[in-house]
Amino acid sequence: MGVFKAIGKGLGITLRKPRLLAILWVVNIVFAAVVAFPLVLLVQTELGHSFLGSNVRPFDLMWLGEAVLKYQDAMPAIIGGLVVSALLFLVLYVFLNGGIIGRLLDKEGRPTLQAFFGDCGRYFWRFVRLFLASLVFLILTFGVILRLLSALMNLWLENAWTEWPSVILRNLHFLVALLLLSIVHMVFDYARIAVVADEETKVLRALRHALNFLKKRFFRSWALYLLVVAGFVAGTVVFYAVFGLLSEPTVLFVLLGFVWMQLNVLFRIWIKTLFFAAQAEFYRSQ
Amino acid sequence: MRKRIGTACLLGAALLVLPPRALPRQEAAGVAAAPILRYEIWVELDAADKMLLGKEEIVWTNTSREAVPDMLLHLYWNAFKNEESAFLREARAESMLGRGKAPDEGEWGWIDITDIRLADGTDLKSGLAFATPDGPEHPDDQTVMRVLFPEPVNPGESVRLRLEFRSKVPRTVARSGYYKNSFFIAQWFPKPGVYEEGKGWNAHAYHQNSEFFADFADFVVHITVPRDFMVGSSGKQTEVRIDESAKKTTYTYRQAMVHDFAWMADPRYIKVEREFIARKEVTPEEYRETADLLGLPLEEVKLPDVKMTLLIAPEHEGQIERHFRALRAAIKYYGLWYGPYPYETVTMVDPPYRTESGGMEYPTLFTAGTQVLTSKDILSPEGVIVHEFGHGYWYGLVANNEFEAAWLDEGFNTYSTGQVMARAYGPGAVPMVFKGIPLTWLLRLPKTFDFELDRFAAINTVRYDPVTAWSWRFYNSGSYAANVYMRAATLLRTLEGLLGEPTWARVMRTYHMRYRYKHPGKAEFIGVVNEVSGKDMTWFFDELLDSTLAFDYGVAEVASVKVPRARRGVFDVKGAREEMTSKKIEELDTREAKSPQAKAKAEYLTTVVLRRFGEARVRGDAQVKVLVRFKDGTTETRRWDGQARWTRLEFIKPVEVESAQVDPEGVWLIDANLANNSRGVDGLRRNVVKLLTQLLFTVQNLLQFVSSWS
Repeated sequence: MGVFKAIGKGLGITLRKPRLLAILWVVNIVFAAVVAFPLVLLVQTELGHSFLGSNVRPFDLMWLGEAVLKYQDAMPAIIGGLVVSALLFLVLYVFLNGGIIGRLLDKEGRPTLQAFFGDCGRYFWRFVRLFLASLVFLILTFGVILRLLSALMNLWLENAWTEWPSVILRNLHFLVALLLLSIVHMVFDYARIAVVADEETKVLRALRHALNFLKKRFFRSWALYLLVVAGFVAGTVVFYAVFGLLSEPTVLFVLLGFVWMQLNVLFRIWIKTLFFAAQAEFYRSQ
Repeated sequence: MRKRIGTACLLGAALLVLPPRALPRQEAAGVAAAPILRYEIWVELDAADKMLLGKEEIVWTNTSREAVPDMLLHLYWNAFKNEESAFLREARAESMLGRGKAPDEGEWGWIDITDIRLADGTDLKSGLAFATPDGPEHPDDQTVMRVLFPEPVNPGESVRLRLEFRSKVPRTVARSGYYKNSFFIAQWFPKPGVYEEGKGWNAHAYHQNSEFFADFADFVVHITVPRDFMVGSSGKQTEVRIDESAKKTTYTYRQAMVHDFAWMADPRYIKVEREFIARKEVTPEEYRETADLLGLPLEEVKLPDVKMTLLIAPEHEGQIERHFRALRAAIKYYGLWYGPYPYETVTMVDPPYRTESGGMEYPTLFTAGTQVLTSKDILSPEGVIVHEFGHGYWYGLVANNEFEAAWLDEGFNTYSTGQVMARAYGPGAVPMVFKGIPLTWLLRLPKTFDFELDRFAAINTVRYDPVTAWSWRFYNSGSYAANVYMRAATLLRTLEGLLGEPTWARVMRTYHMRYRYKHPGKAEFIGVVNEVSGKDMTWFFDELLDSTLAFDYGVAEVASVKVPRARRGVFDVKGAREEMTSKKIEELDTREAKSPQAKAKAEYLTTVVLRRFGEARVRGDAQVKVLVRFKDGTTETRRWDGQARWTRLEFIKPVEVESAQVDPEGVWLIDANLANNSRGVDGLRRNVVKLLTQLLFTVQNLLQFVSSWS
């Protein structure tokens, strides 16, 4: 199967599973609401009755300065809370990934809550082990390869005459980091797919399957991955272009803005499922 | 646009109620007296060995009424000689990177006086000794040297010193130094301190958080560099001599009435010269408006032409016009507001790569700073150009002691920069850059005015130090910067609000012109404020600059309750005792409600509680103004002296309250909590809802990002 056909098929599968997207969106917004609640309360308490609230902007130095002054002692707790929440959400998604891939691979089955969470539970521990294995790869990528690259780059930059080499190399370094990251993500996507598609109980074996699979068709697989990334970038650009038009502080525009933001979240969730669906189609077709 | 309308209203109102005093004519002239010092310096740059070889002649006149037995000389580059200097010890204590970073091995800088004599040949070397004028904390600091004269210099007499010095250029520290063949040479020559009658020599060590202080002087400087080097310098170039056999060029620069001299040399640079032509830059209307505002004759606000020179790195060539536009705006507005630029030339230097010499001021020369990739929305390099040129006014001409009162130049100039930038450019995008790429290329970043950022820092820094602390006695570099730049600027803007724009404009003009070519301190500025405004504003400085008290007045409560027809209890009515019960009151209410005038008769008791949340208080004739708005659109204004921690205001009106607001004109920018300045009875404003939805969205996005690592 070609790359475009795999993406097309993946697209079809994800669009036929709106319930799956709905489940993931609900999980996202409920979790986010819980995390954001103290911050919402803070904003409401400080600005809810103040004229400053009439003109406040998302990045408003007048009010941000006051918030920093008033809550600086609470900052470690706020940041700590956000980090803990993020880690919890990460674990939650390790759990949800089983359900997502399980339901996507079951093309005809409806993603009922029971089936979805059944898959989540079934693959959870295997996905936890895969997640831990991915950390090793990430440490290798960021801690070794990219550091080495930085060191070489700095050696060369030490004698630069202008800032151009620095700007160019730092951006190249960033690009390389992104590409390496995409490869690590892709490898583990296929490993997860192998666990579900092949009912593989040994995660290292699943990882080996994924690596073998990629070894034979690396560039096509990578192209598929990067094309979905490109779709995500294009969607994000469209989102922000339209979002900029919704800046009026009228009730209608506030409402439209909220709906548009939620559509963006839904788009991000959909892109995540599309990664799995397209790659699974590609994996199964080979 | 809203800001300008507000300012114009304030200006009009102030003109009506408070005619400020006109400026005395003689102050507009800002005439320079004869300088106390004269320098002639011959310096040669050894680019290969990174050395300076110099000869210097100093003529110092004792203008005090005391016989002076010695002289203190600054040898600033010894701050980079070893880790025992005050500069590097303080930097180490603070673990500072960047400006205070110690040089690497082989990259230290230093200066030695190899010979020092009187004009008659008397050798003074045996009388040289390092001094530690700032106490015993840094005993091995070598940035100040004492030279003993064989005989005291009597009042009115001059002393002529001839020195030879040898300096190693440091790999850039604190804006002086080199990278490859690029040199930025500042604070490089032996320079006398300032003799203060009754106190002696004022010459502090070079500290991590301090700048400089020196007397006005006439300079003649001969700079010899390798043949292919481009030179930019303070002053006006008057001569060029090329020595083909030695492959060297000597440039001579002259400048009268400045207190420092800096230069740069680089073989790669592009030199561009332009003229600031006043009649093209300033319209007759602008002159007239300025003259009216300041109460000066038209001729006194007219600006002279100025020769502008830009030395720019080839990779920034595309930004030449941006540089000149910013400089023209600065020359125009500083000139109109504070006084005409008095020198013939100004040289703007795009700092050589990796010399970290950007954003620094020297008389008639300053360094800007930019990147190869820029965005028109981010006002860089414009902001730094306006700021550093502005230092020509606040430091260059009005030459306060930067060691002891840095806020008088940094605060004044940060305030002035904000005013010029707002007038010439409007708000600028938040300068976010990722890997050298301005993020405005990808995102629509918020735009802010300088005063917003200044206030952000100002309210958060008050707890650490008073604005008026000596530079090296601040809690740390962050407190130093936030206080002397940003809190001081915010306080000046607050003072402007309190006095009104016309009075303020005259305060600033008077202060600048009266103290041109002088060394004023805080007392001199307060004197001008009080004199021009006709009010004693000393309390403002005591309460807000000399202290660490937070200023915060706010509305704590606002509510209306319907006034009942009657009160419960036992009352004496026409000699009889009658009990008013709840039931009777209810019946009265029902009866009243049925009457056609019911609404008109209903009355409400509105209570507004104001609190002084901060420790600082308004004093003098200043009071806390409160505007209470009612639901029928009517308003009432009250004033509170603000001395107690709280006060309760009551209003009986036939309508309920809508909101209460302290400082409705927004005068007190220094108020640490503007959110509590107003309180409406109805909650949840639309913008807050919008903010909350965006907050939720941000968290959702962050979570979704985190999920991609699962």
